[in-house]
Amino acid sequence: MIQSSFVLRVASALVALALVGCAAPASPSPTAAPATDAPSTDAPSTDAPSTDAPSTDEPSGEAIVVGSSLSLTGIFGATGIIHDIAGKQFVEQLNDQGGLLERPVEWMILDDESAADNVAGLYERLITQEEVDLLMGPYATPLILAALSVAERQGMVLPHHTSVHRPFMNYECQFPGWSIGPTPNEFVPNQLYDMLESLPNPPQSIAFMTNETGSTGYVVHGRPDVDEPAAISIAEDRGLDVVADINYTPSAEHTWDATAAELQAADPDIIFMSTLGVDSLNLLNAMEQIGYRPPLAFSLFPAPGPLLGAGELAEGHLSVSMFEPNEPILERMGPDVRAIVDEFETRAAAAGLPYTAFETQATGSWTAWEILAEGVRGAGGLDHREICDYLLENGADTTFHGHLTFNPEDGNYWPTTQGIKQIQGGDWVMVWPEDKAAAAPVGPSD
Amino acid sequence: MNLQLLVQVAVSGALAGGLFALMAMGLSLTWGMLRVINVAHFGMILLGAYLTYELSSAASVDPLLTLLITVPLMFAAGAAIQWLFQASRISEFNSLLVSFGILIIAGQLITNYWTADFRQIAPAFNPYVRQSIRLGDFVLPLHHLVGFAFATAIAIGGYLALERTFIGRAMRAFAQDRAIAGAFGIDHDRLALLLAGAAGATAAVAGTLWALGNPLTPAQGFEWIGIVFAIVIIGGIGNLLGTLVAGALVVALYSVVSLVWSPSVAPLVVFSAIVLTLVLRPQGLFGRRGS
Repeated sequence: MIQSSFVLRVASALVALALVGCAAPASPSPTAAPATDAPSTDAPSTDAPSTDAPSTDEPSGEAIVVGSSLSLTGIFGATGIIHDIAGKQFVEQLNDQGGLLERPVEWMILDDESAADNVAGLYERLITQEEVDLLMGPYATPLILAALSVAERQGMVLPHHTSVHRPFMNYECQFPGWSIGPTPNEFVPNQLYDMLESLPNPPQSIAFMTNETGSTGYVVHGRPDVDEPAAISIAEDRGLDVVADINYTPSAEHTWDATAAELQAADPDIIFMSTLGVDSLNLLNAMEQIGYRPPLAFSLFPAPGPLLGAGELAEGHLSVSMFEPNEPILERMGPDVRAIVDEFETRAAAAGLPYTAFETQATGSWTAWEILAEGVRGAGGLDHREICDYLLENGADTTFHGHLTFNPEDGNYWPTTQGIKQIQGGDWVMVWPEDKAAAAPVGPSD
Repeated sequence: MNLQLLVQVAVSGALAGGLFALMAMGLSLTWGMLRVINVAHFGMILLGAYLTYELSSAASVDPLLTLLITVPLMFAAGAAIQWLFQASRISEFNSLLVSFGILIIAGQLITNYWTADFRQIAPAFNPYVRQSIRLGDFVLPLHHLVGFAFATAIAIGGYLALERTFIGRAMRAFAQDRAIAGAFGIDHDRLALLLAGAAGATAAVAGTLWALGNPLTPAQGFEWIGIVFAIVIIGGIGNLLGTLVAGALVVALYSVVSLVWSPSVAPLVVFSAIVLTLVLRPQGLFGRRGS
């Protein structure tokens, strides 16, 4: 039969294999996205770079290769695929419009398998072995941080889609495609509380449920070693009664029943779910099972599709957004944006994605690519110092956020255009701020 | 601390532990009886979950009905993997490595077909995800209850089959001493295929039950490894009833610590308890010393 020492050997091997499974050393084949069967899109946005207007001539000569890793598999894969689709769409459109410097552009992607410890090696490989000309960041803050160190060491410009963790982003040639400004720990809660105060019956009490890792913990608690305002302290300062502060670390064996019961006992007017992925949905389901439905709930960074799939249970749910393809917004932004959104939906559906809307993640991706393209056009070449200097001095014009300015003192986090969205009638609708909203926010008693 | 809330959370946790115990049973059986550490079992659970999602969504039927298809399929898959081990004469320890490779392949195939995006059975076809049963002041979430009921039935059924049937006794005899069992005419290879198939069938059930209460992503197969192996070892390798109790205990402890202390502390406390258990009783809480 089985000896105890053998069990311990197996346990050791399992730990090693689990680490391998979660963070396998990557030796993937690169995939490139040249612009061949490019779908037609409309002419470039009127917000297009003001220096060199993109040429509509067929690009020629040696391709400019942009290298990046992306989480095509692993825990970030669900979102990584959005950046994959949006980036390829951008590159094809770029090539349709004459490429960069009249040369075609190719995108070389390595799968980082959602493991931050793969990323540095992959970016070293992209730079030293594949000899790519330009870099694009990976997805998810921990992975972007890993790529950042390589880009800084190599003196290369690194636009990235989604890292909003300002305290760690100190390299002057990194350019974020998604900005919540230099202090997301203050901006996000203040914007939410402003919106809540606009409701006919504003919440008086609030409960927090926080994934302690990364940006979600930072927004709620601030940095552990810094005395700075964040969602909880700001709530207290603004007169909200904080009735629960529950923190968790994601794990497979985590059950939501205990959290649901604790929140039911706290009975808040609104739950601030500082969560990622499907944690909000799991919590909503667990609360529903014990017969508790909070009057209002807000999720910081949820996967948007699954909450919509929850139907009536998630109606009224709030979250943050950089862009929602709501009809009034599309009408305001014009046919170029509509073409981008429609094309993305077609591609996402073809890729088998259950939720195909072009929203925050895809917008972050698109913006990062626009920053890169504008930097190259402005610099008139591929010298990274010149690209960086051009962007710092001139900023970049973008389709979804207008003209962006970059200040290294703020980590290049441009003044945010982020708003708040709400599930209304089974769809995400931008509801705040008023000048960017497609509809008014709805409170529990409205 | 409200005592009723504490009991409620402990009971809910114990019921939720039934599903993890069910995941662990097939693994425990093949390890204890066949000396095969089949990590591909997690791939079969994951595939069973995705097939449940696909079939239930396509046919708009109750997810539990998909067991009629997934159980035979995973039985065949489990037997096929065992046949591969036997044909290749793979050692116990190497079975861990080979089956881990199969798990990676399964995860990649699932990613290629269903993408890495979240998948979930629409609530319209899934009455279990939000319903519960009330017993006085206590609420029992339905999908946890269903999971625990299946786990209990399979643990008791498996225990009786191993203890009371000729095949079960033959299997235990072979696990104890292959040479002597072979001398008595026991055909190990056929029995092993049957047992591995049965373990695969439990993976199908576990996958279906996981899909009842959770959105699916291809990475989940790896996330289960730590907790499920802990349950296997604490329960005693090859001990189905011990596995059931271990599953209920581990997740109940996790839930209680989450409530009393903090969810972020729960993994630390639970895995410290598991390490302590392994140090003091390497054979598990319910295993016999030397076995």
